[in-house]
Amino acid sequence: MGELLDYVSAYNLMKKYGINSIESKYVKSADEAIKFSKGRPIVLKGITKKAIHKTKSGLLELDLLTSDQIKGAFLRLSKKAQKFKPYKILAQPMTKQGIEIIMGGKVDSQFGKMILLGLGGIYVETFKDFALRVCPITRYDAKKMLEQLKSKKVIAPDQKSEKMIEEVLLKISKLLVENNIQELDLNPLILHDGTYDAVDIRILK
Amino acid sequence: MVHMVKRSTANNHDFADLTHIFNPRSVAIIGASEKPGKVGQVIMQNYMDAGFQGALYPVNINAGEKISGYKAYKSVLDIRKEIDLVVIAIPAAGVPNVLEECGKAKANGAVIVSGGFAEVGAADLEEKIKQISKKYKMPFIGPNCLGVMDPRARIDTLFLPTYKIERPKIGGVSFVSQSGSVGSSTLDLISAEGFGLSRFISYGNATVVDEVDILHFLAKDKNTKVIVYYLEGAKRGREFIEVAKEVTKSKPVVIIKGGITETGATAAHSHTASLAGSYESYSAVFRQFGMTEAHELEELIYFAKIFDTQPLVTGNRVAVITNGGGHGVLATDAIYQNGLTFPQLTKESQKELRRRMPPIVNIALPMDVGGEADYKRFGDALEVLSTDQNVDAIMMIALFQTPGADEKLVDAVVNFNNGKKKPLVVVSTGSSYTQSHTKLMESAGVPVYESPSAAAKALAALISYSRYREKAV
Repeated sequence: MGELLDYVSAYNLMKKYGINSIESKYVKSADEAIKFSKGRPIVLKGITKKAIHKTKSGLLELDLLTSDQIKGAFLRLSKKAQKFKPYKILAQPMTKQGIEIIMGGKVDSQFGKMILLGLGGIYVETFKDFALRVCPITRYDAKKMLEQLKSKKVIAPDQKSEKMIEEVLLKISKLLVENNIQELDLNPLILHDGTYDAVDIRILK
Repeated sequence: MVHMVKRSTANNHDFADLTHIFNPRSVAIIGASEKPGKVGQVIMQNYMDAGFQGALYPVNINAGEKISGYKAYKSVLDIRKEIDLVVIAIPAAGVPNVLEECGKAKANGAVIVSGGFAEVGAADLEEKIKQISKKYKMPFIGPNCLGVMDPRARIDTLFLPTYKIERPKIGGVSFVSQSGSVGSSTLDLISAEGFGLSRFISYGNATVVDEVDILHFLAKDKNTKVIVYYLEGAKRGREFIEVAKEVTKSKPVVIIKGGITETGATAAHSHTASLAGSYESYSAVFRQFGMTEAHELEELIYFAKIFDTQPLVTGNRVAVITNGGGHGVLATDAIYQNGLTFPQLTKESQKELRRRMPPIVNIALPMDVGGEADYKRFGDALEVLSTDQNVDAIMMIALFQTPGADEKLVDAVVNFNNGKKKPLVVVSTGSSYTQSHTKLMESAGVPVYESPSAAAKALAALISYSRYREKAV
């Protein structure tokens, strides 16, 4: 199986393809995290190869505003992450609330690179509402992927958001085709205020 | 479960030449026999029953002068005439030698019915016959398969006695099955349906001729209008996509995937990989490239018959006519559950219907023409609704338990269907009396379903494929 790409490298790859991702930085200490926050509420995440599910593993601390909150969360995370060594702690500004979706990619042993769109976040496993296509996809394919979802109306309530999601899918398809990637998870990718941010990126080389 | 053997993908887009296998002028049957119960006897008998017009050469190492009245040969090398197709039905261990002889005899192709190769772990035996095929450039179907049947060319390599399985009439549907058992049982079902068969192909282990070759052949086959496919796995995934993309531009492909539950799946490292397993990938490919996926064997038949008989339509507004109230309610549910909708009838057709229908008939959809409705009333409703510009397709529920429904109604429906203005599906639920009438309709090209939900599924499949065609071509 492939190797997990370093988070910040993955973040840079997203940037290269014009896929909005939330600002991300590794922090080695609580002080560094406080400095990163610049008064904004932030999120701290334990990054490790050994756990895909950050919420389940308790490697996620949300909505940290004051220095005390940040310091406490940093200590808690460091403690919990011990059993997933080696690990790093990533700081991100807190995202706006929105609809959580998943976009992803994988290499199928028969058909090669495939792209996925679905209802994301904690709903991924519960509803298994997703659409899959072989890369590269066309605009028509992107439209049909969205149409196929039961949660289409939730994810894309209007034409503008439909178009936005189609654009992102086309960018990801291009990224998958042009790079040596075994698996990709953008989960969640949060849709908010007419725009979006990939909040968690996982790439297996 | 068919064992997979990798085929070199270095030779992209190279398709085996299957013309001789499918349209042979001469056939040698190796293992032919007169002994009842022998596979070679059944195949021989089937060829005779099918009325094959070309030269037939029974071959058996223990043969005397004749087998079933035909001059018999001890070896294929003794024939000394051109052989288009060799059917091999002898135990696996003897197949490599015999195949080698076929190569020397310059046979153009073979069907290896025998089992006992990779599917039971004898991968090296299978590799051996693959190499022989390569050496003589002689493609073969199988091993471990039923082979081919073509009622038009009167060929039949199936080792299933004709009294045990009905042979369908000649038509436009070609049915391909990796598995022999799904193949033969579904073939039996098809023969009970009104639509006819173009070709039947069961290709087993796909050692040389695989799904890509077969789809490519059927795409070009003028006699094939609709392809029905039972697939366990595609060996050349990317080429499968290429050929699927081509074929669905001109012909509907109805496909069912066997083996959708994964046993040996490795633990996934991402959500994407855990959601998108091997079956999901197949399903996505079918959808993306215009193949119609069936989830049950019955659906293969539902979809095959609508594609075979009805025109394409992209609109989803379905008018329902019924002579039973409850069935109208069920049909309404089925219509909406399958993404279809009722049309808004034009003022003109409402007026015309009001003029032609008795006062007890409410001019609304579903249109209940009443339990006493006869062929005339049904005919009037069909005529008016089919000319309404807001109606894309018609579902007609004809319950033959009612006093007014009889053979005259059958005639009216068949006549209307022959005009083929808009797609029509008929729903008739019932036993012997009903079935005697539905058979008549089906054999005249009207797709009849036992329930509104089956009919609605079929319409939805027709519309979905029609929309794909509109975008793809």
